[in-house]
Amino acid sequence: MRKTTLPAFISTLVVCYIFWLLITGQIPAVFKGGAAPQILIAGVLVSILAAAFTARFFIHSRAFHLFNPVRLITLLFYCVIIFMKELIKANIDVAKRALSPKLPVKPGIVKVPTELKSDYGLSMLSNSITLTPGTITMDVADEEGGTNLYIHWIDVGSEDPKEAGDQIKGTMENWIRRIFE
Amino acid sequence: MIYVIYALIIVSLFFAAAGVVGMLRMPDAYCRMQSSTNVGTLGTLGVMIAAVLYSAIYLHDGGMAVKCAVIGIFLILTNPIAGHALAKGAYHHGVRLSKKTIMDKYGEDMEK
Repeated sequence: MRKTTLPAFISTLVVCYIFWLLITGQIPAVFKGGAAPQILIAGVLVSILAAAFTARFFIHSRAFHLFNPVRLITLLFYCVIIFMKELIKANIDVAKRALSPKLPVKPGIVKVPTELKSDYGLSMLSNSITLTPGTITMDVADEEGGTNLYIHWIDVGSEDPKEAGDQIKGTMENWIRRIFE
Repeated sequence: MIYVIYALIIVSLFFAAAGVVGMLRMPDAYCRMQSSTNVGTLGTLGVMIAAVLYSAIYLHDGGMAVKCAVIGIFLILTNPIAGHALAKGAYHHGVRLSKKTIMDKYGEDMEK
């Protein structure tokens, strides 16, 4: 079992408190200066409790990595522009396949190498791949030659690992490397 | 502006319907999961964006708009994790791939 470290605790606390403010709908009031103090104080207590229990699962290393504004803006840009573009493209493609009378699918499980090293980067890449319809990450394997992802692909475009990787990951991997490495 | 909101809802309903049709027609469990991602992503995101716009512009309720956005964020964050778990669990449990499948690197590497 991992131990809870202080930086991990603090950054989990901050994230929990931000989500508390968002969910209780206090954000507009905070900026206008009329937030109810009892809600803000209750949020601090709940966040401390949540952070004490979950920090060791949530953060393992480099606790303040994402608090850098450049990285935050890159993350936001990635989520809103780059990822949305891929998402809409893939959604249209899979919807077309599902609705066309011949059902043109050519499924297969491909093995794709990735250059990402950090756990956060890998989980973000595999989540992005799973979220785009048409590809599901089934497993991540650490081998001596590097890290590989096993991906179920609804329309195998190429059996070669490198080419398949380029087609599935597109520009996503480079953006994630910029954020997490 | 209300027509933009209507358009968003109609588009996301279309994708949700396409996802359901795909879920019924696809040949095996894994391909059905691919199609169900359609419902989980654009099918819900369109409705959530429409809800954010509606509550911000027509209800003048910033708190509610933020809540709708947070619901969308959490849907997107939690959806793929269930996807990995289902796909891996189904494979290890022995759910077969359809006959159309052209390659299975995962099974080959597991036998080694």
